[in-house]
Amino acid sequence: MALHICWLDDLAKAKESARQTNKPVLLDFFNPQ
Amino acid sequence: MGAVTYPHEQVVKFVDYNFVPVQIETSNKAMTDQFKVTWTPTIIVLDADGNEVHRVVGFLPPEEFIPTFMVAKGKWYFNADQHPEAQGMFDEALREYPNSAAAAEGVFFLGVSHYKLTHDPKPLRAAYETLMAKFPGSEWAKRAAPYRLIPA
Repeated sequence: MALHICWLDDLAKAKESARQTNKPVLLDFFNPQ
Repeated sequence: MGAVTYPHEQVVKFVDYNFVPVQIETSNKAMTDQFKVTWTPTIIVLDADGNEVHRVVGFLPPEEFIPTFMVAKGKWYFNADQHPEAQGMFDEALREYPNSAAAAEGVFFLGVSHYKLTHDPKPLRAAYETLMAKFPGSEWAKRAAPYRLIPA
């Protein structure tokens, strides 16, 4: 099974997860085209 | 990034262990406006309150991505006054990726972190000397230039 990054798509949820896990948020802006 | 760096096994493991990753399409104008994003890729490290810690614009290959965001995580600890943890991240970046583009910034913040923890200015002078020896053309060598006046 290929490894992949499990990206969230909601910054508010990411910030809440960051608070709970004591990790910083890695916010990637991308253009899918 | 999506074709080369993000699928790389070491990058996947590094991101999973160290960060909460979130990906936003540039079609989300509210978000691009909020973060003043004008080019992709743009990658921003935030603390849990949304404060920006570090920003990178442009492609990074895996061997640069990992040390760049090791230093960024070190700065996240640094901003929280968690200096032993910050120094651990800077040391790891310098040990594992000593010739990366991010290494000079790691040397700079490692010296500053030691100073903030101990109030001994000698690590600032040591950072300047390391930067002049290994990265004399870097912006970080220039930023550290005042530390040359600190007695060795």
